[in-house]
Amino acid sequence: MGTEQMTSEERTLLDSLKQAIIDLDEEKAVAAADKVVTSGIDPKLAIRYAIADAALLVGEKFDSGEYFLPQLVMSGDLMDVITKILEKNIPQADTEKKKLILIGTVQADVHSVGKNLVATMLKSVGFNVVDLGVDVPSATFIEKAKDLEADMIALSSLLTTTMPYQREVIDDLVSMGLRDRFKVLIGGGPVTKAYADKIGADGYGRDAIDAVDVAKVLLGVQ
Amino acid sequence: MITLLEIAERTQTGEKVEDKKWDKMFYETINSLVRKYGITRPPEHRFINLDDDLVQRAYEAAIEFLETMGIYCLTTRRRVALTREEILTAIREAPTEILMGCGRDRRVWKQRKVEGRERLNVCPGHHTPFTEDLAGLVVSNFAQIPRTDFIEGFNFTHVEGREIIGAPMEVYASRRQLNWMREGVRKAGRPGLAVVYYPINTRAEDLIGVMDPEHGLRRTDGILLSLLPDLKMEQDMLSAAIVYEEYGSFKLSGSFAIIGGFCGGVEGAIIEGIAKPIAAMIAYRDYINYTGVEHVHMLNGRQILIPYVNWARSVVNQALNRFTHTICMRWIIPTSGPGTDLCLWEGAMQAAEAPINGMNLYAPRHCRTTVNHGQTPVEAEWMIDVSDAVIDEGLDRQGANELLTRIAGRFEGRKPAVGYDIGECYDLVRHQPQEAYAEVIRQVKKELRDMGLVKLVG
Repeated sequence: MGTEQMTSEERTLLDSLKQAIIDLDEEKAVAAADKVVTSGIDPKLAIRYAIADAALLVGEKFDSGEYFLPQLVMSGDLMDVITKILEKNIPQADTEKKKLILIGTVQADVHSVGKNLVATMLKSVGFNVVDLGVDVPSATFIEKAKDLEADMIALSSLLTTTMPYQREVIDDLVSMGLRDRFKVLIGGGPVTKAYADKIGADGYGRDAIDAVDVAKVLLGVQ
Repeated sequence: MITLLEIAERTQTGEKVEDKKWDKMFYETINSLVRKYGITRPPEHRFINLDDDLVQRAYEAAIEFLETMGIYCLTTRRRVALTREEILTAIREAPTEILMGCGRDRRVWKQRKVEGRERLNVCPGHHTPFTEDLAGLVVSNFAQIPRTDFIEGFNFTHVEGREIIGAPMEVYASRRQLNWMREGVRKAGRPGLAVVYYPINTRAEDLIGVMDPEHGLRRTDGILLSLLPDLKMEQDMLSAAIVYEEYGSFKLSGSFAIIGGFCGGVEGAIIEGIAKPIAAMIAYRDYINYTGVEHVHMLNGRQILIPYVNWARSVVNQALNRFTHTICMRWIIPTSGPGTDLCLWEGAMQAAEAPINGMNLYAPRHCRTTVNHGQTPVEAEWMIDVSDAVIDEGLDRQGANELLTRIAGRFEGRKPAVGYDIGECYDLVRHQPQEAYAEVIRQVKKELRDMGLVKLVG
């Protein structure tokens, strides 16, 4: 069923769920999600219509300066809660597997602000994001990516002297014969598109908003 | 003041807190304090804060914030708790002046007053990457600016043709940075000028390896040991702070808050912006701080001007100058690159704020610097000229607000301009801008005089 076939009551219910997520109102969002489950609306449609749209609007609010990192974190957490409620009635085999992105700040670099913003925005638009934190060695990125069957590795660096560790991850992937298994996205204050091209990264995010757009393109997500 | 050894011990014995929990506590606490102390934007737009009562409330909120949160040690994932008495004692006992440099190049860096009339202290550069071939020459050019009180180092990706990767190369490159700095200031005829080591990484060996009274970091020099956003510290930085406290070098910190981070919006950023330099002073003995509030969209070069950022910066610096001994600096960060009129207009706006809010002047450079593309001595001389003119004009907070409003008009409908590499717009041999840039400077200067800053020289 598409959104055009929904009744006005169903549309109103999904709109209230979407609005509650955007407003970060957990109580209302959970109540609306429970109603969606009992109303018999296709949960996959509900996820697409309410959560995906909410994620888009939350991203726009960040872009316009109305929302900040805490609101992104809260909306991401809330979307997780709501998705779990809506997915209760979907058979395991039918559950859409979200693309998994592994993110971290590279070895010898402890800066986290940019990485946190990117991680949170990726999560808020529906990616499954695993944040490895800061000062993450190449071997850890690769081991985790293999273990979790990640689709993408996102590498942040704020220092000119830690940018080479972004290249190291790519070189290690090549030498281990794993380069084609993961997309690699890089970013950070001193990082440029030219550097990304030079070291063979698949993508470069100039900032958090750009990184999300690039990740969507690289992973074929609308 | 609480000793650094005591801080070190607390990083090992404090309460264990996962970083995600810390981040959550951070924004929940700051949010509740924003409400409790009524930190709100004024109904009508201002670039400079005029509300002294708000400044008082913001300061009290920041102290309560620091008392509630303490400082988070990233290395051990422990909370360094601080009592109110420890915080207030540190504030009381911090110096308001720092001696730096030696011989005839000795200078005194001072805390400024809000609407003060004394000339500001100046660090003209760098904090930006340069290639090895230009390094010494660039330093020498910045050191030739007569008002330079200290000069900061720069970062770079290669040393002697090799890419810098790993601790041994970082240590070597760090020492070369200091060699180039010393050589550059000597060539400028200012051998005693204080230089500040700009860490190319934050490992303890990089930070401490530059110590060298002959060719590296002297006791009369300084080091940048910045606290991370969200009140986070590292043991490597603390190790360096302990060493340099005994050695005698002064320390400084990047202590602004970033709107859009875990502090949330502008109101939360005001509280973090006041708390952070106090925390940096306690954690690392950073007495000189580049302070205030920035917006993540401006640091990314997405937007030239978000007017409430200037206002918030004003609140933070007025609070630090009224209630603490923090020696504040305005780090001028244009979203446009050197060689453009926008770079000068943005620099003018931020330099004009500085004397009004009680800040010294620090390293103007493009928000997205790349190698050899971030700053020239022109922007440094420009910030000095503009701030001097604001002082000579006798502008107060209201007058400065009107000037800034007129300057802001220059940004309407415009987008940040990329600008030029240093060699494209500046003649490093003759120490002067290339003619095209010189013409841009003349034009902007004329327009700024027409806006009422008639005492602008040149």
